Amino acid sequence: MSAAAGEGNAVHRKGAGTPPVLLYRNVVKRFGALTAVSSASMEVRKGEVVCLIGPSGSGKSTLLRCTNGLELIDGGEIALDGELLPRDWEGMRRVRQRMGMVFQNFELFPHKTALGNVTIGPMTVLRMRRADAEQRAKAMLDKVGLADKTASYPAQLSGGQQQRVAIARALAMEPEVMLFDEPTSALDPETIGEVLNVMKRLAKEGMTMVVVTHEMTFARHVGNWVVVMDRGAVIEQGPPEQIFGSPTVERTRDFLSHLGWSG
Amino acid sequence: MNFDWSVVWRNADALAEGTKLTILLAVTTMAIAIPGGIVLALMRLSGVRVLSSLSACFVELFRNLPLILVIYTAYYVLPVATGFSLSPITTAIVALSLNVSAYNGETFRAGIASIRQGQSEAAYALGMTRWQATREIVLPQAVRRVLPVLASTWVSLFKDTSLVSVVSVGELAYTSMRIRAQTYRVLEMLTAMAAIYWLLGYPQAKLVDWINRRYAVNE
Repeated sequence: MSAAAGEGNAVHRKGAGTPPVLLYRNVVKRFGALTAVSSASMEVRKGEVVCLIGPSGSGKSTLLRCTNGLELIDGGEIALDGELLPRDWEGMRRVRQRMGMVFQNFELFPHKTALGNVTIGPMTVLRMRRADAEQRAKAMLDKVGLADKTASYPAQLSGGQQQRVAIARALAMEPEVMLFDEPTSALDPETIGEVLNVMKRLAKEGMTMVVVTHEMTFARHVGNWVVVMDRGAVIEQGPPEQIFGSPTVERTRDFLSHLGWSG
Repeated sequence: MNFDWSVVWRNADALAEGTKLTILLAVTTMAIAIPGGIVLALMRLSGVRVLSSLSACFVELFRNLPLILVIYTAYYVLPVATGFSLSPITTAIVALSLNVSAYNGETFRAGIASIRQGQSEAAYALGMTRWQATREIVLPQAVRRVLPVLASTWVSLFKDTSLVSVVSVGELAYTSMRIRAQTYRVLEMLTAMAAIYWLLGYPQAKLVDWINRRYAVNE
């Protein structure tokens, strides 16, 4: 771990002084001979939007998937609200109820309507009654601007609409943290904005969010904290003004310049 | 050659009884073999070696034995081996169910395997257990996806029920053959039998096509 991966205590940080909601310490994840995450340490505070950026294959998505136990870590530790994540499947399943996840490919359930996609979590996992679950689901679909699409099947919706249903599906579990895994990478350019706007509104409402993204404008304007990963390690982190304005690490500058980022 | 079609009408009641039994055999067998196939597929995919080997052995045994041999064996060997004496109809249902469950097991296994990993992950991310994810997310999609295969298995099964006539189950084939033997009206009875099987089978195939269109999942 390089010195640059330190926390940069000098700068003001949202939620500073409060205990972190998520804490990653020297996280390691290997797939056979490949080390996807070699050393990742970072914190996520309550109400913060932390954006994970970096080149493809740098381990951002893997780190996110380790957060809710879709991948089990091989070393280091991750803590939620000060408690280490359990290593067993059943324990991890309980933790997952407290985190919402949004996938790159939406992964909506194609055999269920938009409403069915949003009610299924509360009904099966929280054992909520159908009427209550539907009421909540309608509120969530309204929140993402799809109140008129409750009866539509995923195949009848545009990519942007599908991803907004996926966000509503995750929100219906009333998670403490929302994890976004490249939520706009599979979208047509004209529908990216509607998804980012929903995420922006969530951030304004104070939702704690970890976002793996290639949308630098989003990271810059909505993110409170930006973490740069490369080759499995966190190489630099700080507030967006610093990362995009005056990155201190050479590889961060390289990465941003490859994106054509000019501030 | 002279034909005497009246033999068919004179035996209409017996043929109707036989037809009823044919339908009963097919429906009962499928009612057992669909859950049976799902259980075999889930065992095979469970990742628990004992369950998965048991399932594989079952499937490979009954898929690769001629159905008529299974029927004879169930009829002559089961009572001796188990001490229970089963009625011919029960024996027939056991034999047919063993065979069709094995086929359905493979069908469901392919169907479940065709649902991409991300669907289970999305279910797990909501906090579902493995069983909840299977029941609510994977199986409903897998079943819709394999409907065409189940449909052709059904149509085969409907015709294969005729094989149980070898153990004196009075279904349509047995009844027709019995009447033929009593009246010597071979061509008339064979024609009647063919007509009944076809008239029952064809609408089923059409119905299944319709179900398939109606419940297909678009992605």
